Amino acid sequence: MLLRTILRRLAVGVVQLLGLTVAVFFLIRLMPADPVSRFVGINPSKAAYAQAAKAIGVDRPISTQLLHYLGLAPSQGKGLLQGNLGTSWVSNAPVLKDIATALPVTLELITMAFIIALIIAVPIGMLAALRPGGKTDKAVFVYGLFAGSQPEFWWALLFVFVFYFKLGIAPPPLGLINPMNSPPPPRTGFYTIDSLLAGDLTTFFDLLHHLMLPVATLVFILSGPIIKMVRQNMEQALTADFVLYARAAGMPGSTVARYALRAAMAPSMTLIGILYGFMLGGAVLVESVFSLPGIGQYAVRSILAFDYPAIQGVVLVITAISLVVYLLLDLLHAIIDPRLAQE
Amino acid sequence: MSPKLPEETSSMSRKFLTVLASTTLAGLALAAPASAADVLFLAEDVPAGLNYDGPAAAIPTSQTGMVNVMEPLVYYATKEVNSEGVSIPDFGKFEGRLAESWTFDKATLTWTFKLRAGVKGCGGATLTADDVLYTFARAKSVSGAAPIGWFLSNVGSIANFTPAVFGDKEENKKAKVLGDEVTKVDDLTVKIRQAEPNALFLPVLTIFGLMIFDKETMEKHATKEDPWSHNFVNNEGMGSFGAYCIERWTKDNEFALTANPDYYRGKPAIDRVVMKKVPQSSNRVVVLQSGQAQLAQSLTPKEYDSLRKAPGVKVGGHSGNQNLFVHMNFKSKPFDNIKVRQAIAYAIPYDAIIANGYFGQASAWAGVVPSTYPGYSAAAEPYKTDIAKAKALLAEAGFPDGKGLEAFADSFALSYVAEKETTVGPIVNAIQSSLREAGFPVTLNPMPQTQYGDRQLVKKDLPFAINEQEKPIGVDAGYATQLFFVSGDKGGLNNMINYSNPMVDDTWAKARVEPDNAKRDAMLASIQKQLMSDVAWLPVVEYKTQFAWSDKISGIGWHPDNSIRFFDLKGK
Repeated sequence: MLLRTILRRLAVGVVQLLGLTVAVFFLIRLMPADPVSRFVGINPSKAAYAQAAKAIGVDRPISTQLLHYLGLAPSQGKGLLQGNLGTSWVSNAPVLKDIATALPVTLELITMAFIIALIIAVPIGMLAALRPGGKTDKAVFVYGLFAGSQPEFWWALLFVFVFYFKLGIAPPPLGLINPMNSPPPPRTGFYTIDSLLAGDLTTFFDLLHHLMLPVATLVFILSGPIIKMVRQNMEQALTADFVLYARAAGMPGSTVARYALRAAMAPSMTLIGILYGFMLGGAVLVESVFSLPGIGQYAVRSILAFDYPAIQGVVLVITAISLVVYLLLDLLHAIIDPRLAQE
Repeated sequence: MSPKLPEETSSMSRKFLTVLASTTLAGLALAAPASAADVLFLAEDVPAGLNYDGPAAAIPTSQTGMVNVMEPLVYYATKEVNSEGVSIPDFGKFEGRLAESWTFDKATLTWTFKLRAGVKGCGGATLTADDVLYTFARAKSVSGAAPIGWFLSNVGSIANFTPAVFGDKEENKKAKVLGDEVTKVDDLTVKIRQAEPNALFLPVLTIFGLMIFDKETMEKHATKEDPWSHNFVNNEGMGSFGAYCIERWTKDNEFALTANPDYYRGKPAIDRVVMKKVPQSSNRVVVLQSGQAQLAQSLTPKEYDSLRKAPGVKVGGHSGNQNLFVHMNFKSKPFDNIKVRQAIAYAIPYDAIIANGYFGQASAWAGVVPSTYPGYSAAAEPYKTDIAKAKALLAEAGFPDGKGLEAFADSFALSYVAEKETTVGPIVNAIQSSLREAGFPVTLNPMPQTQYGDRQLVKKDLPFAINEQEKPIGVDAGYATQLFFVSGDKGGLNNMINYSNPMVDDTWAKARVEPDNAKRDAMLASIQKQLMSDVAWLPVVEYKTQFAWSDKISGIGWHPDNSIRFFDLKGK
């Protein structure tokens, strides 16, 4: 039953990806600039223009370009079906390779931030709901006003100024590791995992040290909405009949809270999953402030340069990850609420 | 697996804690360079490619990469070190680099270059005439996405580097093959023949787009599909004879170089230079100020100004070839009206732009060619802010107090590159206020750089714009004239304002092949006089290319590509 659901969801996901790929392919071609112009800054002659257009393949009919991109025109070369996302027009490297370098940086950053944010925010949200008007609830209200009042970009710059420049307890905002040191030998692309695989604890702790401030910034930003979601869902759960019954039956408060939390977590997880998908691209400002070469920065750079293959690749990969996250969430839902699995 | 003994566990914990403590302390020591001879250079990006015939050649940080790992045949001698500690090249004096000496035979228009013996590249290869032949053969193959090597050879009138190379016909294929225009005399002697006399020959050889490849290393990375190793220099490394070798290169992140121990001008003073992408200019400022980086570039004028007073940091620069001008398209009404153009010229707040836009690090520009370039001629009477005169001219143009201009609202949308907002934003606002005061209904129109480039270079349909990104890479007034002001059908490649004047076209056609420099300069001066009276471009200011560096290093040099040569740097 579960396996059938997963397979059905994966099949629908593939169709969604295909639809999105075709839509993005045409949408980016509506952007108001000709990407070839970027190649001919030094020699903008007609011959050089034609040469550049040919080099990146935009001199071909749009249908040929689409079929090539999808991998349905073997004479034109490999495409999506053959696992080729094309070559970036800026870096001239395969888009898949560029993404494989940038994506782990973002995944590392936001996964750590989400884990810490959940550890902090869920109990706080729960406490705030259990004692409305209490100290925690008031503190959450003030914090919510604070964290939500400025964009993450502003907080990130402020944190750099205070914790690095003034107090000197954070490292400079120069990426994942001290730039004068070599990164761990690449195996998975995730620096923390690679440093552990290489048994290089010095680099591992250097990485954690460098991730401290960007992760703290994201935790600061993310905790606000997570606390609010948990608090709201918890409040609703606490008014449910089964809680009233449990209380009437004289169950201890902690047991009642545990029951309510379980009911509150299901809708919260959905929102957290959506937030995770959003942060894949939405962490771009934090990446930019801390010089982290993640997928967000890669996406922005690609859009500004009208780098069609890179834009298509980023959209495809982020969508695919989001679909997988949503699928995992549904499975988690089924574990939290077994009735869903029965349906 | 046997259970761990208490002592063993405790010993492991101790070990873990020791490592944790030591690494935390090491982390607290932060990003201090590994030794005094290392430099951490913070930039807005790192090279996107090192292939001057590739897609990234027009990106300034890619050029910084190329000039530090490659080497030209000839370059400019150093003129002086200015009062800000920045060395300046002498555009009138060439010195040998990979070429030890050279001679020119006027009768056959042939240059003979004697190459240095024993020059070694990072790959271990030794320079020979074959490397020079390979470089020109690769340029002529026009096999890259943006063939700059061919373009510069063509600009320098090297024989047979003609547009016939473009296309797939049989004659095009033949034209792509290097012939007798570049020949090997012996292992260390090369002859290059020009098609006509052209003063731009030596200047183009100094440019990054004709630096010399190491044939041996390049051919090692050639494939059947990519015989000229474009992918190798686009993505992986370099085969050349430059001062530095690539240690590590992660695009969008970092570019680490180590000194080439065999560099023919001596091993560089700085052992390692790590170029790190730090997108936020404010972070480049704070990290430099804290002493953990030694060099930073592409800060805003305001940030440079604030660093001027910071302890341990020096700021310096040179007004070499960067400038800001107003672009008015002759094909967009009412800019075809000379009175309107002149009225705008008198309504620009020149002094306010210098003071508030550039914090005093700019000066009025009295010409349309960088004032440091050979052949530059200043206007006798440059434009000055005079709103009353602007209003009078506008009335003469048929638009008293701006009445009637509302019909041209689209033309008065002042375009500029959105990515330059922090620098250009205050300037365009000052221009908008001043022009509105004079009666022009100016609105602001920021757009992405690629879109701006498309409309400027390809469509040539931007009616009204601020341009602060043009710097002619050929150091010569004639090159700038040909590029920007000669009619499109006469070879004006970047004539973004659709300017056309037979006087300019005809005079340049003669000046281009004039061997007598004095006569050539006189012709170029007459062209520049005409351009100023037509307000072809409206020159506003020339501003300094600035750098900020730690007082623990010295030797910053300005070069026409605005890229720092790490070889020039010295530790203290």
